[in-house]
Amino acid sequence: MKKRFSKLAGSIVIASLLASVIGCSNSGTSNTSPGSTGSNSGGNNAEAVSNEPMTITGFFSDPNTNWNNMQDDTGKFITEKTGITLKPEFAVGDPEQKINLIAASGEYPDVISPKGASGALIDAGALLDLTDLIEEHAPNIKAMLGDQIDRLRHSNDDPSIYFVPSLEAIDQFYFDAGGPFNLQHAVVKELGYPQMRTLQDYENAIKAYKEKYPTIDGQPTIGLSLLADDWRIMISTTNPAFWATGAPDDGEFYIDPETHEAILHYKRPEEREYFRWLNHMNDIGLLDKESFVQKYDQYKAKIASGRVLATIDQQWEIDEPEAALKAAGKHERAYGHYPITLDETYKAANFQQTGFNGGWGLAITTAAKDPVRIIKFLDYLASEEGQILVNWGIEGKHYEYVDGKRVFLPEIENIRVNDNNRFKKEFGIGNYLLSLRYGDGVKDSTGNYFTTNNPEQVLENYSDIEKEVLAGYDATYWKDLFPKEDEFEVKAWGAAWNIPVPNDSIITVTQQKSNDIVRKRIPEAILAKPADFDKVYDTMLAELDKAGAKKMEEEYTKLVKARIELWSGQVTE
Amino acid sequence: MAKLSASYGRQTLGDRVFDIGNVIFMTLVLIATLYPFLNVLAVSFNDSADTVRGGITIWPREFTLENYKVIFSYGTLVTAFQISVLRTIVGTILSLTACSMVAYTLSRRDFQGRKFISVFLVLTLYVSGGLIPGFLLMKNLGLMNSFWVYVLPGMVNAFYIFMIRSFMDNLPYALQESAKLDGANDFTIFWRVILPLCKPVLATIALFVAVGQWNAWFDTYLYNGSNSSLTTLQFELMKILQSTTSGADQARGSNIVEQMRSVSPDSVKMAITIVTIVPILLVYPFLQRYFVQGMTLGAVKS
Repeated sequence: MKKRFSKLAGSIVIASLLASVIGCSNSGTSNTSPGSTGSNSGGNNAEAVSNEPMTITGFFSDPNTNWNNMQDDTGKFITEKTGITLKPEFAVGDPEQKINLIAASGEYPDVISPKGASGALIDAGALLDLTDLIEEHAPNIKAMLGDQIDRLRHSNDDPSIYFVPSLEAIDQFYFDAGGPFNLQHAVVKELGYPQMRTLQDYENAIKAYKEKYPTIDGQPTIGLSLLADDWRIMISTTNPAFWATGAPDDGEFYIDPETHEAILHYKRPEEREYFRWLNHMNDIGLLDKESFVQKYDQYKAKIASGRVLATIDQQWEIDEPEAALKAAGKHERAYGHYPITLDETYKAANFQQTGFNGGWGLAITTAAKDPVRIIKFLDYLASEEGQILVNWGIEGKHYEYVDGKRVFLPEIENIRVNDNNRFKKEFGIGNYLLSLRYGDGVKDSTGNYFTTNNPEQVLENYSDIEKEVLAGYDATYWKDLFPKEDEFEVKAWGAAWNIPVPNDSIITVTQQKSNDIVRKRIPEAILAKPADFDKVYDTMLAELDKAGAKKMEEEYTKLVKARIELWSGQVTE
Repeated sequence: MAKLSASYGRQTLGDRVFDIGNVIFMTLVLIATLYPFLNVLAVSFNDSADTVRGGITIWPREFTLENYKVIFSYGTLVTAFQISVLRTIVGTILSLTACSMVAYTLSRRDFQGRKFISVFLVLTLYVSGGLIPGFLLMKNLGLMNSFWVYVLPGMVNAFYIFMIRSFMDNLPYALQESAKLDGANDFTIFWRVILPLCKPVLATIALFVAVGQWNAWFDTYLYNGSNSSLTTLQFELMKILQSTTSGADQARGSNIVEQMRSVSPDSVKMAITIVTIVPILLVYPFLQRYFVQGMTLGAVKS
């Protein structure tokens, strides 16, 4: 029946043939799923841009319980402006399973945000190549990306653009530093703000304070506590090895900036010295004995007690216990962040720029009736007007300009701070970051920041003692202590850890093996007698090579080089 | 204990030692099983900033309802709760009816296709169709976006059928014969003679099914995720849990401390656990008397 129908249709026009076959095969199987509920009003007429009501269905990998069916202020405004109503479904649990179902069943929603699970959809041919759509219909998106548009391409073999990235923001600028070498304010204040530049400085400060105050609130003082609970070992124990030796975050690898060769970062001789320092810290009793056995909640409880002088960890891992400390009024037990390195020849590369990484975002599927309307919708959200709308809401209703500065109305600000769920649900602000978006620190034509974060806010959140300590170091922000972005070259390969590794690659398996080895041997090396340290470390390196590390590094080098080639724009047809 | 020993007459030393040991052992078991639950309860009522400090045992240190407030501030829970209760009740009744009817048929020796159907059912215990075929089947059956997808697919379950059947096999066949002589037809025998005797096994299976139905959220996600009037409680709670977690992630990313405010994902998780467990816990006392009854029934008969 399908064939006869196609034949009939084929005699009219080729374009409509395709459309009707898709339409036929969809309705032929009598489906009532969300995939086909979109209205067909737009048709294929690209130029008839209208605000005619149109519903687009979508599937999103991230849950959003504050979605209010676009009945919030911002949503209503967007619908009025573009005619588009979005009907999303949000993933719960593992989004990958559902996305594989979507790919296998052919029941595509109009738009989909599959995050890491896009492979099945691309293999199924479910996603549209957006290259031409962006070129012809999305001037704002194009302008925002500029010459970084090649960073959206899928691969060297398939240079299609499948996603409008929405997870990573454009030109994101970090207002402040968040680790990884943290020291209690009380320590530096007590010692009169000594120089904090090398591991030796760090060690001296911890040692001096611990000797002076062997107990805090009646409990024994802990010099330095590390965390090694499952994957968190990377954040607190192994990643700081490259931070301390002037290398940026490329996951488990170190990428040579000249040759682009990838090696496991543990193989760098200077990192061995970092771990030797940890071994030394253990030897002189400054390292918490429970470092490698404690669970995350025990670690948090310990920090919240205020007796851990130093932590080597990212801010987001110690946010909760720090909040508990502040709630208890122990502001001097919260932590400052210092650009510590092995010695003064290294420069902490925490703020080395990666450029835009492209990556995860929203794709339009072949089921979409009117992709042009959808890309225009996304383009609207990426425009200056759209970006202010999704970040700030509506002028006069949610925000106003006071002396040229954009601020939330006082009652709105009050709700924002005290009832964030209501803020999102009722006003819809933050619910529509669906398209390309600007990061913190990017200013619009009025000279205001697009996002609602600004440096003054960071300052407001500092406690008095925090400001005092910073003043002691002649700085306003922690970030001021660190080497600036422009002191480093922008990494041509972005961040290596987000290079997608093909499922069938040898890297996946070897990586697992090498993680197992590292997570066992590194704690062993740190806890060993100083004389045995090198022996254990050498054993680890030998084991890594035996597990196939060399081959994995070669493969990874290929991936890095392929990405550099792809991003340089040399592969466009 | 005194009463117990009285009813058994004089106690030897060995008896007494055993009793003491028994009581101690059982108390330990009780503590081991009850403590985690009480701990979750305590944490769920404790201020989340305080929880981070650790050391909460069975009593909240800084009492707060904030964690529950977060959960119940999501408006969808009332409908979701109703759907969950409905699917538990309807699902249990349908499943019991269907399974026991199949089981009775299979237990009858005069049923011709007994062997074949048994083997066929056993197969389903070992081989399943997989996620994607299952999804396509439900879609083609028109069960997407409907309440029935919760109760119909799981109605007949081979494992339950065999449990009921082996229980029925132990009932004396004479019962059925005499009923037949008294003029009862097959359905009357099933309904008036067999089923009442099967109460213990039915209660057990009712419990299995009810807990399963109550806890299920994955089918909601697969088939009804976009239909907010058909989502279940577990599904909504799962959503809340995930968005508190990712909310915390976002706060990390953008340095907005106030977003973290006073609840942490861990505390919300505990509160959600309590909200999930308590309603189904209430079912146990009602079913328990059948278990006890079942034991005495068996004892008298043999």
